[in-house]
Amino acid sequence: MAVETKLSHTAAMILQAVNAGYVYGFSVMEMTGLPSGTVYPAMRRLERDELIRSSWEQQAIADAEQRPPRKYYKLTRMGKVTLEASRKRYPLLAKLIPSEQEEQV
Amino acid sequence: MMPQPSFLCDLVCRGLLRGASLLVPGRQRAEWWREWRAELWHVRQAYRAERSFSWMAEREVAAFCLGAFPDALCFRDQFKQRRIPLATTKGSATQCVQMLFSLITISYGVALLLPDVSAILHFSAYRDTRNLMLLRDAHFSGDSVPTISVEQYQVWKRRRQELFNGFAFYQVSEQSISWESNMPTKGAVASASSNLFDLLGLRVRYSREAPGSLPRLILSEQMWKSWFGSDPHIFGRMIQVGSESAMVSGMIDPGEWRLPGQTNAWLLQPQDLGFSEGLGFVVAHLQSSHAGWGEAWHMSAPTPTGTPDDFFCESLTERTRGPGDVFLFAILLACLALPATTSLPLGEYRASSRKLSWFTRVRRWSFLGCKLTLLLPIVYFVSLDLAHLRSGMDPITSEYLQLMSAFSICLFGLRWSLRDQRQRCPVCLGKLTNPARVGQPSRSFLAWNGTELICVSGHGLLHVPEMPTSWFSEQRWLYLDASWEVLFAEPGFGTPGYF
Repeated sequence: MAVETKLSHTAAMILQAVNAGYVYGFSVMEMTGLPSGTVYPAMRRLERDELIRSSWEQQAIADAEQRPPRKYYKLTRMGKVTLEASRKRYPLLAKLIPSEQEEQV
Repeated sequence: MMPQPSFLCDLVCRGLLRGASLLVPGRQRAEWWREWRAELWHVRQAYRAERSFSWMAEREVAAFCLGAFPDALCFRDQFKQRRIPLATTKGSATQCVQMLFSLITISYGVALLLPDVSAILHFSAYRDTRNLMLLRDAHFSGDSVPTISVEQYQVWKRRRQELFNGFAFYQVSEQSISWESNMPTKGAVASASSNLFDLLGLRVRYSREAPGSLPRLILSEQMWKSWFGSDPHIFGRMIQVGSESAMVSGMIDPGEWRLPGQTNAWLLQPQDLGFSEGLGFVVAHLQSSHAGWGEAWHMSAPTPTGTPDDFFCESLTERTRGPGDVFLFAILLACLALPATTSLPLGEYRASSRKLSWFTRVRRWSFLGCKLTLLLPIVYFVSLDLAHLRSGMDPITSEYLQLMSAFSICLFGLRWSLRDQRQRCPVCLGKLTNPARVGQPSRSFLAWNGTELICVSGHGLLHVPEMPTSWFSEQRWLYLDASWEVLFAEPGFGTPGYF
């Protein structure tokens, strides 16, 4: 995937949400206000393009909390570079979904 | 007891997810299902925080579940993109199938051009041939000469029958035919009882009904073309056949007449009048209750003098049989002979660390099936063409020629199909190229020697042993992994990451 990849606003918003700590599908939905039919396919494409990667939560943690384990998403190095480029393209992105560090500041 | 609404809603949501999961390719389905089930659990928890049932919350949950369908379709699209396209290089699977289709078209075209083959292809079997019997005097060995007198036929027809429920008679003689101002021409005409074609079930083209007791003349296609110049207005007109007038009432297609006696036309006599004193042929229809009697048997029947005589009855099955039986027999022989000419296994294709997709495996076997299927019509048409290349050939010779040619072509075709399949990449079905000899023949028993071929798309290597040994008896396919990608980076080539 080339570094200068241009994402749509929706994809950039989802990438920003994942970066901001909303690391599973439903939390991204809640944060962005996008429907499930948009969020999940977009996350598949981001994963296919190696901008995010997924991993399953440890079963022991889920068992301890008496719930099924969930799939977490995380930005890759390429994803972070692409997100930086997208922030320049969509300046309001960071204000719409502030990341944890920005919130602390 | 009525189930709780929340339970029903849960059931509907799970049903929606299950339905959507069917759209996901089988290999990814389990993980997809696991993720969506977990997400659904959390969505439920979020919307039912207050632990009370609410239609609004259930609606939100259902809307969430409906989103599974676009996601499943997205998965499906991604899977499709990973399908390996067929090789497009020279000798590709597509070219191979196109070549086979071309051969079918050419051989069928030639078959249509050859009159005898065309007649065979357009032949529609007589009605109920199994029960249509040709009757002859048992004192004669062959059925090509007429043996039944008109009187004998009349006796059979008049008597109450338990064996047969229909008789037809015909006798062939040279008769002069003249019409309008044309010079009379001599031709072989079969004077026949009016029910002959009805009994046989033969289809008469341009059929016309003759008024009253007027005889009807049915032409052969060859006579219609050569004598009447394919004039469609001849049907329904009067013509002089011998000493009587007849109306031209139709034509039958070439190859339809399979009974003894070469004729140019058939003169259907109303009320069985107008037959000469000579001998003729009798066709009878056996009652269905005696259908199990077999294809040939003797019977004793009264003669016009009242004394019984021996007659031989033979069904028309043999006469009306198409070339299909010979073809099937040749196929069977070729299949039996095939193992003696080439090895049947296609080689060892071991499962690699990353398994071939179901689609790719099915495609490979479908290609082999397609080749074998397309081979059959080629064998059929080419063998017919060769057997009937010369018009008017003896039927026995034609049959022999057809059998030999069908056997040879089929054997060659089967051999070619297997060898071709062995020389193709199991992934993209491209022809393997760049053969390289490896090893030294003098070290056959100590080290491997043979030929290696490579798939130009980089899917694998084929090792063909020079001499089969106990440890390397068949050719072996080696799948190349992603580390080979750098060698096959040319545009248009699928990389080894194809699984």
